[in-house]
Amino acid sequence: MNVTPEEAERSLRDIEASRLAMRSLVRANRGHLYLWLWGAIWILISLLNWAGVDRRGALSNGLAAAGIVASFAIAFLQRSRVRSPVNLRFVGVCIAMLAFSYGVWPAFLGFPHSAKAAFGYGTLVWLQLYVVAGIWFDNYLLWLGIALTALILAGFLFLPAAFWMLTILGGVLLVGTGFYVRLFWRSGPWTR
Amino acid sequence: MDALDPVIHQPARLQIMAALCQLPAPERVDFSHLKRHLGLTDGNLGAHLATLEARGYIAVEKAFVARRPKSFVAATPAGRAAFAGHVVALQAILKPR
Repeated sequence: MNVTPEEAERSLRDIEASRLAMRSLVRANRGHLYLWLWGAIWILISLLNWAGVDRRGALSNGLAAAGIVASFAIAFLQRSRVRSPVNLRFVGVCIAMLAFSYGVWPAFLGFPHSAKAAFGYGTLVWLQLYVVAGIWFDNYLLWLGIALTALILAGFLFLPAAFWMLTILGGVLLVGTGFYVRLFWRSGPWTR
Repeated sequence: MDALDPVIHQPARLQIMAALCQLPAPERVDFSHLKRHLGLTDGNLGAHLATLEARGYIAVEKAFVARRPKSFVAATPAGRAAFAGHVVALQAILKPR
């Protein structure tokens, strides 16, 4: 095959242009939308509790339910553009951990009795999934899960007066990680 | 030295492979998004994909999303290796001897 240097240069330019365009599509389908969504929900729930708003428990539950619905909507929209094979073993691990966290442990140890304990427990359940996912797929979820867990525990155990301030900081960390993933990160959050 | 691959070198197929190799390994992209991304028609993209699939460079997965049939396309390991070799060969042409 004979290719002139001009043709080779043009081909390499076309390759780079195609790569750049696809990179933006890949980035648009990363986990940043979930991080922004749940970061915003964390911040709102923390603000409701910090301000001592009436019916904050019901409002917090409503926000969490809306977040779950929105998460499914994001998953559906992203899956119609770029999809990864489902890792059934990992899905099984997630289901088992959630079943134990919401079913088995509370049955033995009792349900959290305060807003701080409920928020802390509810978030730590999901943060353990972040840590497991981060180890499983070798990605940013590991350090994000560890950092947020440390923040929640520090607020709950050592700085109860500043608990809601620290959870707001946790929400900001989630949103900030979303920007990091959107702008800089190249690998898939659920795949290697 | 890596050789130029005539199947990949065709401009549209070169862009298809460049796009698909940009996706992390097990991920697949929807046919209609690839079509928009490359500015090709259905028939044109379909023909190029068939050529690449016959060579074993890509895999096409048919699936239903919201009860609508969709095709998802991914580069195979052989396709990624061939594309990487092709890029090296192109770069070698530009290097001063």
